[in-house]
Formats: sequence, structure tokens, C-alpha cells
Amino acid sequence: MSTRFTRLAALAAALALAVTACGGSQSSSPPAGGTAAPSGAASQPAGEKVTFRITTWAGEGEAKELQELVLDKINASQSEYEIVHEAAPADYYTKIQTALAGGTGADFLWLSQEYVAGYASRGALLDLTDLLKTIAAPTAKVEGYFPDVMKTALYQDKVYGLPWISQPVVLYYNPALFDAAGIAYPDDTWDWAKFAETAKALTKDDQYGFSANGWPPIHMFMWQAGGETVSDDLSSSPIDSAEALQGAEFYKSLIFNSSCCPTEDVLLEQGFSEMFKAGKVAMFMGGASDTFETADGVALDIRAAVPPMGPKSRTTFAWTASTVVNAKVANPELAAKALVALTDGIHHWKIVSPLTELANADVITASFPEKWKAQKGQQVDAIIAATQDMRSFNVIPRQQEWDDLFWREFQDKLYHDQGTAADLAAAARPQLEALLP
Amino acid sequence: MVQWYAETLVRYVLVAAAIVGVMLLTYRGLRRAGVRREPATGFALILPWFLGFLIWNLFPVVASLYLSLTDYNILQAPNFVGLANYQQLAEDERFWASLRLTMAYSAITVPLGLLLSLLAAVLLNQGVRGVGLWRTLYYLPAILPPFVTALLWRLMLLPTRSGLVNSATEPVWSLFGDTPPRWFLDPDTVLWGFVIMSFWGVFGANTVIMLAGLKNIPKDLYEAAEVDGAGLLSKFRHITVPQLTPTLFYVLILGIIAGIQIFDQGLFVRVPRENFLNVYLYQQGFNFFHMGYASAIAWVMFVIILVLTLAVFRSSTAWVYYEGEVKR
Repeated sequence: MSTRFTRLAALAAALALAVTACGGSQSSSPPAGGTAAPSGAASQPAGEKVTFRITTWAGEGEAKELQELVLDKINASQSEYEIVHEAAPADYYTKIQTALAGGTGADFLWLSQEYVAGYASRGALLDLTDLLKTIAAPTAKVEGYFPDVMKTALYQDKVYGLPWISQPVVLYYNPALFDAAGIAYPDDTWDWAKFAETAKALTKDDQYGFSANGWPPIHMFMWQAGGETVSDDLSSSPIDSAEALQGAEFYKSLIFNSSCCPTEDVLLEQGFSEMFKAGKVAMFMGGASDTFETADGVALDIRAAVPPMGPKSRTTFAWTASTVVNAKVANPELAAKALVALTDGIHHWKIVSPLTELANADVITASFPEKWKAQKGQQVDAIIAATQDMRSFNVIPRQQEWDDLFWREFQDKLYHDQGTAADLAAAARPQLEALLP
Repeated sequence: MVQWYAETLVRYVLVAAAIVGVMLLTYRGLRRAGVRREPATGFALILPWFLGFLIWNLFPVVASLYLSLTDYNILQAPNFVGLANYQQLAEDERFWASLRLTMAYSAITVPLGLLLSLLAAVLLNQGVRGVGLWRTLYYLPAILPPFVTALLWRLMLLPTRSGLVNSATEPVWSLFGDTPPRWFLDPDTVLWGFVIMSFWGVFGANTVIMLAGLKNIPKDLYEAAEVDGAGLLSKFRHITVPQLTPTLFYVLILGIIAGIQIFDQGLFVRVPRENFLNVYLYQQGFNFFHMGYASAIAWVMFVIILVLTLAVFRSSTAWVYYEGEVKR
């Protein structure tokens, strides 16, 4: 092998490495606008669309709907950018965290309410506060959202995302089981006592009045009694207050109690929501967009009511998620515009929209495919009523740790008779408060 | 998108070209340094693997050691905190509880697994009809992914009547006036649930390795023993076991490592209290953003495995027999 050959090999290797290395900074993973392309969107050639990537947890069917009902429309109507979807239905948070750490995170991400503060506090998200003020669309106006939902996208009073869904928990019921027992359907006059009494009355043989397994969240009942799990100013976790304990004790009186609800063993064996679908549970608390069908795919006659009234309120939990923007996005202004368009599209697809003006019967009914229109049509009034009382968690940056601790040291022990609510709450509170900001 | 895929493809080709270029340079450099043609070619050819080892194995290992001394939270640059993570570990009750569960699991499943796989191998080594089919059947469980096994056993160990284990053993429990265990719902029986689950893998790779070891035992040893009047048990004790000790040693080392590193089963089976150490590590790293702390747990786990492995290695001089070895 000659010296000349050696030099050529060295030159080829050096060139190849240089080109490969440079590739990342010019247009790494789906190009331009992308986070790993700091100069991408800004230096996009005139007339060429900037490509933004969005990563979501959408499964196959949901991803198809997102593409067809939202993204295709946006991409067809936009000349400045296009949005490319990357679904990561399995190990979602592990994947996006790893991608963000590696500098290849997508421009837009879906985050459930528990995560926004944590990601924002660690500098992973773009502060949208000022960017959104420059956009006229109603979707960009923070004040247009339900305040108790919008707060999940805020961190230290800055906006880090736009909520795209807020599903209030409603009380679904199987009218056939009520009819068979000669009991009137649930309505907005129901309180905890009426609810518990009816759940017991509907329990017989292999049939139960209600079902709980940690869902619906115990927080909801603590709120209804006037208690709180994390205070509004995030400075305390008063789970041992008299009000919070009242809510916890009511929940404890239901969960795994065979006089009204399936035991833990039965739930494990027969499935939580499956028992309701199979007609073995008369009442079930679920999110507003839940649909119920038989194993053969036939829509069931399931109706909805607002959750029963607690001692202080009818507050119901809202499962909320936001779309956030990667802090390293190359073109923040354009990204904010794309985020608003994307969120608006999702608001007309998912229910319930966290935008107050879209939380109405027309939008909700129109959101569902034909198959579900009859079922959801019967439920829509209860869903809209529930939105007026819905709220999300007061989220802290270390929310996952807080949730884990709250489960292990309070809920799990309470549900398994390892202490009274008062004792467990008193023991857990200092540990929970150690995790607050 | 098409452009992006095309660019990616070009990049792959360029990386391959770069690697070939570096291999050629290595070869040339070695030759110039006076290395003979054959070893120079060998070194150049293993270069891609060696680079892969450096980048994908050695670097992460060293990096994780550094990260264990930081407060790394995945999303931000790490800050050096010295031994704080290790000090925190010493006071972390959940860490100790997870470690206890993991060590108890290993202490039970490793010897038990060794014994059962040896038994299975001895049975499969008999000249029975259709032995090939039996061997295939015994190996089949090993090809299932661990999470499938975990989900399967979670159903088998359901505490209700649809849980096959409890359903089958209920009459036995009732004989003693007792009820079947609640397995993964009861903190006291979680460990035993996982131990039972571990049997599933016993008949897989370990049995095949043992079987290979049994096949390597010279037949003339058995013949000589028979001439001397040795019985079945005597032959097993004085020929089979000693001759099989290198294999037992190998399987024991692998068993210890696998036992302490158990992860999938713990991740897919929700338990009431503490889970395995690896699951706790994952939770700290990926759920709680404490990657520095998780790295410290990983290094503690590494040290435990290393110490146990070294102990087994040191003890091997006393119980592992290698043919041709001269004991002094």
C-alpha cells in the first residue's frame, strides 16, 4: 500500500467524518425548524416550508385521527411550515426525556398535567408567555381557558404550553341495572349519602353498585369536602385537615368494600372498566371522552350524570394535557404560531376543549364519529355541567415523586387497612411537604 | 421527509466509508511501526468493534460513574456533588428495602435454579424416546420475552379463582384450614410470587448449558466406576457432579448476575411495597429525574455483583474441577 493511498484514505475518512458531523448541525432528524438544527428554521431557503416535529403518545388509531383530522388540514393550509407527527405510544416519557437529553427531542411534545412544571423547571420548555401575546387567535389567549385547567400549563406564572384536552370525571351509569332494581337514575340532586346508599342497593350476587381502585382519584373527594392535597400557593400539603380527611374517609368507605364495590381480587380478575362494560357494575366514574361498547363493538346504552355533591362542592377532577414547545426550537415565533394552529385543531377533535367557548354541546357531539353520537348525545349535558366544576391538580416540579409518595404512604395503606386516614395523613404530610418547591 | 431519509442514508454510507478509511490508516500505521502483516490486518479488522466498544460500552460506563457523583436530572447539565448520592443511599429506606428483596430473591432462586436445571439436564440426558422433542419443549419457555413471562405469571398467580396456581392448590390449603396466598397483593408473599415465576426460566438456557456439560463427561469414567461396582447415586456424586463443576460454576456466575439485575418481572408486576433494586433505579432515573442518584444505585449494584462474583471465583479453586488441571 503506497503512501499516496494512505493519504487518500486519510483524506476520505476525514472528509466523511466532517460531512457526517456537519450534517447534524445543518438539518438533523427531520430537517429544518427542528430542535437539533439551531440554524435550520432561521436559515430556511425562501419558499420552503419549515418542518416542525411533534412527538405524542398516540396509538395507531389516535395517530391516524391526529394526522387526518388535524395535521393534514394545517399542513395543507400553511405556506410557512408543516408539522410532522412521530408517535411513541410505548415508554413515552422515557423516550422523550432521552431524546431531549440527547438534543434530538421534537419541537412539540404532549405532556400530561403532572409533567409540565417538572419539565419547565428544568429548562426543557420554551416560555410562551410573550410569544402568545403576539398572536390574535382565541386559542392563544390564556384567559380564554378554564383557569383551573390552564394552571397546569403554567410554571411560576409563565406559560409553557397550551392545554388541548380537559376531561372532567362524570358519573356514568347503566340504566338497565337501575331499571331492574326500580331505582331512579342519578341526577344533580345526588349527594354522597344518596350515592353510597344507591351503590349498596344495587349490589347483589355478582353485581356491584360502584367501582373504585384508586380511580377516580381520591383528591376529587378531598376537594369536594373542602380539603386540599397541595395548596394553591404550592407551599403545603394539608391532607390531614378535617375536610381532606372527610373526603378520604368517604372514599375509603367505598373502595374494595364488597357491600357496594368489587374487592381488589375481583377487580384484578375481571378488570376495572371491563366489569362496567359487562353490566356487572351499575355506576362508574370516567373521563368525559370515554366510550363504552361490547366485546363485539356494539355501543352500549350508558348514560352520564354529574358526580354526586360533596359536603362543600361538586368539584370534579379534570384529566388535562398540554402541548409544549422544546426550549431549543430554532424559530420560536413560528413555533408559537404552529402551536396555536395545532392546538386549535386538537380542540375541535378531542373533548372537552379546555377553551371555554368550545366546551359546548355542538363541538362535543361533532367531535365523535357516527358510531358514538347516540351514546355521547345522551351524556353531553352532564359532561358540559361537569366542566363548570372541573379542576386539575396543583402541580409541582417534583409531582411524580409526590404522587408516588402519596400513593405509597397514604392511599395504599389506607385502602389496605394499615392505619386510619388521620394517622396516615399526619405521617405522610411532612414527607409530602419536603417535596414541595 | 424523503429528503431527510435520503440525507440519513448518505450519512450512513459516509460513516461506513469513514470507518473503512480509519481501518486502512490503522493498518498502514501498524505496518510502518514494524507490526507484521497478519497482526496488523487483525487489528485493523477488529477496529470497528473496538470503536463500538469504546463509544457504546466503555464511555457510558465511565460516564455513569461520573454522573453518580452529580445531580444530573436528564434535562440539564450535571453539577458535581461529590459523594452526596452515596451518602443519601445509606439513609434511603426504599433503597435498602429494594436491596433486601433483590438479595433474598437471588439467594433463593440462584441455588434453586441451579439444582432444578441440573435435574432437568440429567433427565434430558437419558436415552429416552423422542429426547429431541423433550429438549425443544423444555427450551421453549426461554424464547419468550421476560415481560410476556411476567404478564403470564401475574395471571397465573391471581389470588382469585381464575388464578391457576391458587385454583389448583386450594384443596391443599383448605386441608390445613388455610386460604391460598394473595401473592402479589400481599407484601409478605411478593417474594415467593417472584420465586415461582423464576422457575419458568430454569428449563431454558441453563438446562441446555448443563446438558452440553453432561455430554462432555467421558463415558469411560462411568464404565470404570461400574466395573468397580458403583451405583447410580455414587456415579452422580463422584463423577457427574465433579465433572460438571466448570459448567455449574459458569451457570452460577450468570445466575448471580441475572438475579441481582432482575428488572422486567418487577416492572410488569405491580407490588404493594418495594420492588427490585433495578426497578427502583429505573424509577429514580426516568420517573423522578434523579439520574445521578440512579447512577449511584447502578454502581452499588455493580460492586455487589463484582464482590459476589469474585467470591465465587476465589472459592472455585476449592470446588471446580478442570480436566488436566494439576492441584498443588
